[in-house]
Amino acid sequence: MFAITYRKIFLIIAAAIFVGSAVIIGVFGLRLGIDFTGGSLTEVAYSVAPEKVVIEAAVTEFNLGGFSVRESEDDAGRSAFLIRTRDLGEDERAVLADAITNLGEGGEVTRFTSIGPVIGEELKDKAVWAIGGVVMIIVFYVAFAFAGIGVPVSSWVYGLVTIIVLIHDVLVPTALVSLLGYFVGIEVDILFVMAILAVLGYSVNDTIVIFDRVRENLVKNRTEHRKKVVEPGGVEHEEVTYTLTAPYEKIVGSAVAESMARSINTSLTTMVALVALYFVGGEVTQTFALVLFAGVAAGAYSSICIASPLIVAYAEWKAKREVTKS
Amino acid sequence: MSTSTEKTSTFLRRFRAVVAIALIVSGAWYVYANPDHTFKLGLDLAGGSHLIYEADTSSINPVEVPELMNVLRDVIERRVNIFGVSEPIVQVESSSFVTEEQTHRLVVELPGVTDVSEAVAEIGRTPLLEFKLLDQEKLLEQNTLDSVASLVGSTSTTSGAIIGDVKVNGETIDTSVEINPYIDTGLTGRYLEAATLEFAGSGSGQLANEPLVTVRFTAEGATLFADITRSNVGEQLGIFLDGELISAPRINEAITGGTATISGGFTAEEARELAQNLSFGALPLPIELVSTQTIGASLGAEVLQKGITAGIYGIVFVLLFMVLWYRIPGLIAGLALASYIVIMLTLFQYIPVTLTAAGLAGFIISLGMAVDANVLVFERMKEEWRSGTSSRLAAEIGFKRAWSAIRDGNITSLLSAIILFWFGTSMVKGFALVFGLGVVVSMFTAIVVTRTFLVALPDTPSNRKGLWTTLLGSGLSK
Repeated sequence: MFAITYRKIFLIIAAAIFVGSAVIIGVFGLRLGIDFTGGSLTEVAYSVAPEKVVIEAAVTEFNLGGFSVRESEDDAGRSAFLIRTRDLGEDERAVLADAITNLGEGGEVTRFTSIGPVIGEELKDKAVWAIGGVVMIIVFYVAFAFAGIGVPVSSWVYGLVTIIVLIHDVLVPTALVSLLGYFVGIEVDILFVMAILAVLGYSVNDTIVIFDRVRENLVKNRTEHRKKVVEPGGVEHEEVTYTLTAPYEKIVGSAVAESMARSINTSLTTMVALVALYFVGGEVTQTFALVLFAGVAAGAYSSICIASPLIVAYAEWKAKREVTKS
Repeated sequence: MSTSTEKTSTFLRRFRAVVAIALIVSGAWYVYANPDHTFKLGLDLAGGSHLIYEADTSSINPVEVPELMNVLRDVIERRVNIFGVSEPIVQVESSSFVTEEQTHRLVVELPGVTDVSEAVAEIGRTPLLEFKLLDQEKLLEQNTLDSVASLVGSTSTTSGAIIGDVKVNGETIDTSVEINPYIDTGLTGRYLEAATLEFAGSGSGQLANEPLVTVRFTAEGATLFADITRSNVGEQLGIFLDGELISAPRINEAITGGTATISGGFTAEEARELAQNLSFGALPLPIELVSTQTIGASLGAEVLQKGITAGIYGIVFVLLFMVLWYRIPGLIAGLALASYIVIMLTLFQYIPVTLTAAGLAGFIISLGMAVDANVLVFERMKEEWRSGTSSRLAAEIGFKRAWSAIRDGNITSLLSAIILFWFGTSMVKGFALVFGLGVVVSMFTAIVVTRTFLVALPDTPSNRKGLWTTLLGSGLSK
């Protein structure tokens, strides 16, 4: 299995992806949407739209502090503008809406969202807790489901590797959104958090399927030794130990090879559905589809090229350490 | 090797497959033609306003807060109903325990209302308590006209204005005359000091134990009330709440004590609520609008239309991929996918899942994921089949081997969905619910539906050349 044979190279690539994504996010940051910062977003659509500067001039007159105007298109295909300001009270909203709809022909406020700073702050907390909660549950479930896998790597390591892979699968789409935020102005909203959470569930699924195959192959390729042990108190119990009949890396390698078709096919079907959502679904879910697409692609890659090499590398390292100890 | 499937006759297997197809088709028809249950669309698809109010509970004993929030909800709900919105949602929401400070909010969803200013004004309004004298003559006149109007089917409004002309005995009576049988007294809720719930004692002219609301006026109000009652003994004094007449007691004597009793055939619950509403001036708690969201109706329809189109494209692409790669089993996966869609849509109709843009997106990606269990089984089945096992047994083994992976993968997905649902705001909840349901239903269809069809196929060994061997093969290999 290439991913296992050339594991050093793949682990270096993985490290590069980790560092690269982290640097991108660190340098370009994320543009937090009003869902998290609080503020107002007004979408105004026209049949005959005015120039962007006209809108900007009109908004400036209201002295709302910092604001931004972005050209876009509403879902009916009319040209529209997204005006982002601080959170507006009811009176301010009405005045602003009145003023801007009169700037072009057929002006209409198609969407208005105003979120107080408290709500935004709370949503941020909730998002962090939800992601943290999902990660915790997954480590515990993997450690529990793979308990008894024992030799040569404990089930907790499978759990930890799953988490490392999860971080990878989240970092990649986040870095993508960071880049898009910097260059195209895409914002991080609640839909982004949902997409990330869906990626978490999806990625772990991919990794688990491969580990499941590792588990199965380990059971196939081991011999059992039973030994009666008498404890100091006179209690007798049976101790079962296993030795593998094939090298661990071979076992993992064949597990990956056997489950690769499935990993790729499942990811492809999901990605096909996402492509449909991106191109045909509305503007609202476009970023959502993009983030998921990147996450699913990253998930398929990492389950094959990161998870398995990592677990073999760990087993190798552990074996070496035990040799030097004894 | 003797397995249970070998004992089951081929006929029975085929029969089951036919029944399964019949079930899917009739299910699809049912979903399509079901007139009583429609999909519940979220505001982002139907258009409307979403308002979040925060209640100021700082001066209230924490123990009483939940109760007061419920009263608040009821009051707002009533006002929203007066506003004439179809299926409004008014619910109390507390900030989750992860935040340091507990805040209590009221979420108001008004489908179809895109003019927020009007809605906000209506909700923020204080309830209006008014006392008006009833003009008996005009009241009589109105009643007559009302009955005449109702005889000829014309409409009448409570304010007394009747629109249209009515012909009686060949004579045209102009019924559009504005008749206002109520005379303003100037006494309103502004002069109110407190309102309490009481129960009528026996012998006081009312039914024993009838719930009453006693209002006590301020000094100024008491004087006004005394004046009104003194000069109108024998008349009826109408008590209006939010413009609606709730009771019209007869004035028996001048009331100088500064209290009035409102009896309107209340239940104890209604009376208590009214007393509470009145005493708190307006709302039981001061509220502040913290978040508004409005989605134009045309935009919502557009999002919905695009979401559905994307869903159809998604289904077609996924099916195409499966059939091209897995051939006959791929087609079976398509049937499983069809039953998955039918079951999901039926669930959407029957349990209150509000479909939002995010939920729709969740449904579309779940299509891709729904075939995952099938893919796992097919891959396992193929391995067995290639190593010489005949196709039916290979399918059985494929299911057995794939089960642990299907189980572990789906349980983690389900756990993620539960956490999402638990932490989420209403929008996230919609997504989590669709996602979670998708996981469970797809597992069911992959195991039950796919299996039913797979074992109904002719038993074919992989080393024999023939049509079925080709059809059961997969991928680029022959």
